[in-house]
Amino acid sequence: MPNAAHSHLSPDPLARLRLLHLADSALPIGALAHSFGIETLAAEGLLSVADLPEFFRGYLEEAGMIEAVFCRAAFRLACSGRARGEFAVAVWRELNERLNAFKAAREARAGSATLGRNFILAVLALGNFPLLREALEAMRGSASGIHHGPAFGLAGGALDLEEDSVVLAYLHQSMAGAVSACQRLLPLGQTEATRILWDLKPAIAATAAASAACEPSDACCFMPLLDVGAMEHPALRTRLFVS
Amino acid sequence: MIVARPAEQEVVPVTLLASPVEASLSLDFARDARSGRTVLAASAQQPPLRVVRAFTLPDGAALVHLHNVSGGLLGGDRLSLSVNAGAGANVQLTTTGATRIYRPRADAAETTQSNEIRIARNALVEYLPDAIIPFAGARFLQRTSVTLEPGAGLFWWEILAPGREAREEVFEYERVEMKTEIAADGRLIAAEHIRLEPRIRSLTSPARLGAYRYWATFYICRAGLAAGEWLAAEGALREVAREWTRPGETLWGISTLASDGLIARGLALHGRDVLPGLHALWRTAKLLLYDREAIPPRKVN
Repeated sequence: MPNAAHSHLSPDPLARLRLLHLADSALPIGALAHSFGIETLAAEGLLSVADLPEFFRGYLEEAGMIEAVFCRAAFRLACSGRARGEFAVAVWRELNERLNAFKAAREARAGSATLGRNFILAVLALGNFPLLREALEAMRGSASGIHHGPAFGLAGGALDLEEDSVVLAYLHQSMAGAVSACQRLLPLGQTEATRILWDLKPAIAATAAASAACEPSDACCFMPLLDVGAMEHPALRTRLFVS
Repeated sequence: MIVARPAEQEVVPVTLLASPVEASLSLDFARDARSGRTVLAASAQQPPLRVVRAFTLPDGAALVHLHNVSGGLLGGDRLSLSVNAGAGANVQLTTTGATRIYRPRADAAETTQSNEIRIARNALVEYLPDAIIPFAGARFLQRTSVTLEPGAGLFWWEILAPGREAREEVFEYERVEMKTEIAADGRLIAAEHIRLEPRIRSLTSPARLGAYRYWATFYICRAGLAAGEWLAAEGALREVAREWTRPGETLWGISTLASDGLIARGLALHGRDVLPGLHALWRTAKLLLYDREAIPPRKVN
């Protein structure tokens, strides 16, 4: 009999492997090119290695939560579309437009939209997923684009993966990307970076769990320092990252 | 009127003893075609929200001071502000002082304020309030909806203080929640939803305010301008933002919105540094977008 800690994981080994594949940082979507404002904070001395554990916990509670909520909403939308045989295009557009409006900084907004589109294209390159094709087509010409969190959730639903695992995987790979950015921006060694990500796992799990009861219309985010960092990133003299 | 509460030597408003109020203020502005001036065409007021009269500014805009004659908001108060700026109207709204959110009684509901601002074609609303000061224990929810028709403009800032700093009361409020949505020509261009609960999630986290205490947001919109014009405006305002940035004391950031506008974000250690930065951004943006000088609101107290 499976214990409670394992009961929420998909029993299908193929589904688990697919999820690991989609959440792998090696998936060619360009995620490593974005810091979403962290580069400015590091450059301006507003973020140090000593700050990172607290910074990432706050990051998860704010940005992580809102992304998890939209990822989960898109997952449910895909499941509902598969069950009804009809994808609710208007809801998909509204999800992306709402998340787009939430993102205050231009570069961070564009970065998320680039990753989302690249992610859908990367999954479509792996197989025939009509729902994802429809989702991509639905946003063609849209000013908001497809954001990364909703794209990941939608793909998870389209591939019949398990909801909680998809949200956990999305958050984990987002945090891994942010920690990786810090390795390139701060005197943060590999061992310490790995330790930070390891220690964040309970907070990742807590954020994913909390997102289950939150609707996109109720999601909150308060990260003004990172907002300013992302807004002022275009003005940095030298830049490693696109955002 | 205030009374001293001997046990804690805390000065509290006597209105704490009063029942919560449900008040609304509805203001309709119209442009007078003959004079070109904007007039306060209709108003409906329920105390403690009051507007005495509209003053005409040199550019023909109508300036209105929003009074809360109770001196602040109490636990359970439910206030609503509705502003309709008719086609071509120019409106400037300000407050007569900081909005104080008092400590509520333990059994009181949260204090709520809802703002609904509709800006018709080619109208402009400048909403320039003083800071919101949440006292220790305060619970405050503000919901704001702004809709802009084609050509409509908005300058709107919001300042949140950490509390009564003079009493060393910093981040001692229970909850401040602010939900804002701005739509231009039917499209959502900005959405913000913050829920600050300093006792649960530290605001001094480097992911939130860090060493700063004041938070300001300034929306600058004009529905229908092309993306390229906004990018150019972002560049011009970034120069202003950098001019007013003093690391450790004040930080400013600027970005285009999803479309039709800009957002400026400010963080400051001291409240005195917030308004000068906002005024500088406002002056530059007003010249860029309207080729007119920003006229700082006259205060009546």
